[in-house]
Formats: sequence, C-alpha cells, structure tokens
Amino acid sequence: MLPGSIEWLEDRYEAKTLARRFLERRIPKGISWFHCLGSATLFLLVIQVITGIFLAIYYVPSPEQAYDSVQYITGQVPFGFLVRGIHRWSASLVVVMAVLHMLRVFSMAAYKYPRELTWVAGVFLLLLVMGFGFTGYLLPYDQKAYWATVVGAHLVEKAPYIGPFLNRLVEAGPEPGPLTLSRFYALHTLFLPLFLYTMAGIHVAMVIKQGISAPPLDAPVRAGLAAGQHFLSNAFRGIRSREEYRRAYEASKKDGPNFYEHLLKDAVVALLLLILVIGLTFYLGIPTEERANPADVNYVPRPEWYFYFLFEMLWFFPGDWIVIPTVLIPALGMMALVMLPFVDRGWSWHPIRRPLATAMATMSLTVVLFLTYKGATAPLPPAPTTLSLPPVVFQAEASSPSELGRKVYQQQGCGSCHSIGGVGGQAGPDLSRVGSRRDPDSLRAYIRGPQASNPKSMMPRYNISDEELDALTAYLASLR
Amino acid sequence: MNTKAEPVTVSRRRFITQVMGGIGATIAAILGLPLSRYVAYPATSEAATNWALAGPVDGFNIGEMRQVAIEPTYDAPLAIEKGKRAAYVVKKADGTFDCFYMHCTHAGCPVRRSSGPQRFFSPCHGGVFDKEGRVLAGPPPRPLDRYDYKVEGGVLYLGEVYQVDERLERVG
Repeated sequence: MLPGSIEWLEDRYEAKTLARRFLERRIPKGISWFHCLGSATLFLLVIQVITGIFLAIYYVPSPEQAYDSVQYITGQVPFGFLVRGIHRWSASLVVVMAVLHMLRVFSMAAYKYPRELTWVAGVFLLLLVMGFGFTGYLLPYDQKAYWATVVGAHLVEKAPYIGPFLNRLVEAGPEPGPLTLSRFYALHTLFLPLFLYTMAGIHVAMVIKQGISAPPLDAPVRAGLAAGQHFLSNAFRGIRSREEYRRAYEASKKDGPNFYEHLLKDAVVALLLLILVIGLTFYLGIPTEERANPADVNYVPRPEWYFYFLFEMLWFFPGDWIVIPTVLIPALGMMALVMLPFVDRGWSWHPIRRPLATAMATMSLTVVLFLTYKGATAPLPPAPTTLSLPPVVFQAEASSPSELGRKVYQQQGCGSCHSIGGVGGQAGPDLSRVGSRRDPDSLRAYIRGPQASNPKSMMPRYNISDEELDALTAYLASLR
Repeated sequence: MNTKAEPVTVSRRRFITQVMGGIGATIAAILGLPLSRYVAYPATSEAATNWALAGPVDGFNIGEMRQVAIEPTYDAPLAIEKGKRAAYVVKKADGTFDCFYMHCTHAGCPVRRSSGPQRFFSPCHGGVFDKEGRVLAGPPPRPLDRYDYKVEGGVLYLGEVYQVDERLERVG
C-alpha cells in the first residue's frame, strides 16, 4: 500500500474510522462457533458466484453442446475439474449450511424482536438457493439434469388453474429443449444472482445495523431447571418489554469481544470449508451421468438430494391429491416460515420456554429428514429386460417350480413394484423374506385377488394361469 | 432575487411524491408490459405438431405392445431438441391404434412396457397402467396421454399429444 494512502482515504471518505467502527464494535458475550454458520453460507455463495462466472466462460447453453462443453471444462481446461468441482460441491454445502444456520437462528429465537425481517429475508434466501439448485442442475444436460426438469415441469403443471401456463412458462416448449436450457441459464446466471445480491445485501445490512443477536437472554434456564424450578415459572421472566430487551442486549455487549475476534472464527471456518469442498471434488469426483437422452424409457429419474423430501412426499398423495405435496404443503411451509416471527412474539428465547414452536419445528424437521433418508436409500427399480434376481437356492434345476416362478416374477414385471434382495421397486412390500411371513395358500389367494385379501391393497389383479400362479407361489414361498 | 427559502408545505411534498410515484409507475409499465409478454411468449403460443413417421401398419401385430422411435417436429424452430423420442403403439383387434406418450401422468417419469403382464410401469412412485393406458395402481391422476395418429399409404404417423379421461375420451 502506498505510504499515507490510508490517511488519504481517511481524509476524503473517513475510511479508517468507518472500518474501525465496523471491526471494533462490540458483539454480545457468548457468540460461539455456531454463529459462523451464517458467514459460512455467505462464503460458499461467494465461492459459487466466482466459480460460476468462470464456468460461464466455456459453458455453451445449447442441448447439442452443453454436455460437451461441460466435458471440455472438466476434461481439457486446466483446473476446469477443480472449478466445476468446487461449484458442484459447494452448491450442496450451501444448502446444508443455510439449513444449519436457520436451525441455529431458530434454536436461539434470533428471529424475534427486533430481527423479524432479517429472518424473512433469510427465508427468501433459502428459497433462492433452492431455485439455484433447480435451474443449475439442468445445465450439464446429462440424464439426471434432463429428467429432473421433466419431472419438475410435470409437477408445476399440477398447480390448479395456472398449472399448464406455468408448465409452458418453465419449459418454453412441449418438453425440455433449447429454449428451456437458455431460460434456465439466464435464470441461473443473471436473474437469480440479481435477487441473491439484493436479498443477501439486505440480510447482512440488517445484521450489521442491529448487531448480532445475543444468545438467549433467558439463558439462566438451565441453572433454574437444575434448581428444580418449572420452566415456565416467573423465575425466568426477566425481560417483558422492548425497552428491557434493548437494555439487556446492550448489557450483553458490555463485556463482549470486538467483532474482529469473531471474524477470525469466520475466516477459519471459510478456509476449512474450501478445503472440504476441494476434498470432496477429489475424493468423490463430480457426479455426471450420460448425455441426456429424451428417448430413454428405462431411465429412473431421481432428484438431487435436497429435493428428495418433496419427491418422496408424492408417494402419499394419489390422484388429484397431488396438489397437496406440489402446491399446498410447500406454500404453507413457506408461509409458516415467513409468519414465524410475527406469530411467536413472546419474550422467551430458550427453546424449552417456547414449547409449541420447538415442537412444531422438531416435527417438521423430523419429517423432512425421514423423507430425505427414504429418498437416499430408495432401491432403484430394475429395467424389465435386465431384471436380475438372486437365483433360487433350493431345487436349482431349470424346471423346478420355484425356478419357473422366478421367470413368472420377471415376466409379470413384479420387480417394478417389489424388491427382492435389494433389487426392485419400492411401491410394494419388500418380498425378500415373504416366505417366512405368509404360507403358500395365503400368498396364492393374495395374488389371485389382492383386494379380496386386503381391501386397501394397491396391487392390481394379474390374470395369470393356474400353472404360473403355482410356480410364482412356490418361488415366493422359497424366499425366507 | 429572494434568497429566503420558499416554505415547503406538506401538500407540495405530497404533490411531488405523487408525481414521482406516477413517473415511476409509468416507467415500470413501459418496460414491464412488453417484457412480461416477451418472457411469456412460449407459454401463450401453441406450435403446431407435424406428423412423425412411426412405421408401416403391417409391422404391428394385433394386441402387441410395441415401442417405436419417432422423430417429432413442430412448426417452431426451437420447440424441442431434434432427435428420436420413444412412443408406445398398440394395434387393436378392429385395426385401430392406441398410441401412448411415454411420460407418466403423475410426475412425468418415463414408463416402461412389460409385455408379459401387458402393462406400463412407472419407475418413480409405483404407477401402473394397463395396455389401454388406464391407471391400475399408484398415484397417477389420469390415464396415459396419447398421440393423435393417422394412417396414410399403409404407414402410421403420430401427431399431437392429448389427454384422456377415465373413459379414455379425449379432453381439451
């Protein structure tokens, strides 16, 4: 730096004073490593923007060339593999960090007075991140990309009244094609970033203006509980007005550290994250499937992991009820998040003193985690022609009834819904050990008329001959 | 010249605010209306589907579920990526055809045909259709979508995709 340049800037812009005021302002006592989650999210978003801008130099948004251009980036361009790998993996990590940050803020009730709008801006940022995800993973134009967009567009179509219009607005044609790709590219690299900069700017400006929220000001709860007091007792009711809150907040900053102390933690986390992202790139590579093939009837579409919960929810709402998981639940979920700070307004911060909010959040989180787990562990249905099942162990001659039954199982496409030994669909029950659960007679009766055995059964009737039924029953009975 | 500052009254301030609001709204409308029309164009225009060759009618056996490769095109240059698509064709006893779109009516996953039980299976949420496209199991809200078709000079052509209701009658 030029000698005297700081003074030069100070004279004109008060640069030094402003920087000092920013870095040396006091923050509340007890700001921990958990408070780095927000800055970690911001750091990853910055990484996304930087690597994204550089990816755009070589990427070609056209169905004919998108896939090749991405292969070119990873295969030919020096460090292209690294640039795309960082972009790909930090995209996943942004979702993780944003959700963890949200959980941290929720658990400390930092969304309460006076930070209601900071929370709302955060909710929109989370929505933007999901939007980046959805528009971003069409761009490599591999199988996963193409089919995820087909599914996304079909789900959009299910919205009442405006669904078909929205569908065509998203796809810009009868199926994903050149105009879809250019649309998603423009959204991903121009429109959404504009919203991101604005929203993130507002979010961070609000945090700086109001100061980092203090850890729960009713923190003595744990001590009180240990002393045998009920958690709603008056012993914890310190703060009951805005003035008292402000006073307590100022007091919490009195013996708090300077901001730059915390910035060091943020920097350490940022560096560790970058190392993690690069590590993931080299350890796990960059998951890429074959070039998109719109004519492939055997492809099994699966979304990116952070959309699993939406995809898995579809199991539970047949027929026209599909508007519930595609429109109603996401809309209500968003509304609940936006409304949270305006509904939960009491002067208590500790999770145990907000039992209703804590219970509802725990429930929603459990459902989302469970569905994500289900999505991640769902067995893939085999292509009918390549269905490979574990061979029959007993009576292995080709003409034995159970061997014939295995053929019937394959011919009838049972594996589209049922799985045996981890191979097959998940629509119906796993049949790996069905022989130990049901005797041959009840198996036989069930296959003949599923609804007669169980009126709620989803299984369609199969018109197969008695010989085929005998063989199939023998095969299933042998699975123990 | 009078150096005294002119007293700014509340009504004058309100007038200026309203004029600026009006100018802002006008600018937003001048830009916004054309731009929204510009963005929504593909959603509001329907490109005509051209007939796509599916094969000679003699090649289809009655009752057989066949997967055919077609190369659909539209009367709009950028509507879809050029290339092959899959469609399912079933020739019925009376010589007419059922021609199915390959996407499940639930989430759009590609349905696969299984000629043993004569069914279509979706790999995503357990949707099952019979050979006429009716929903047998799973969450699909309506039967498989179909292609319009025509036979000309002994050759089958597929056209526009349409939806059918539970009675397999065309809707829309």
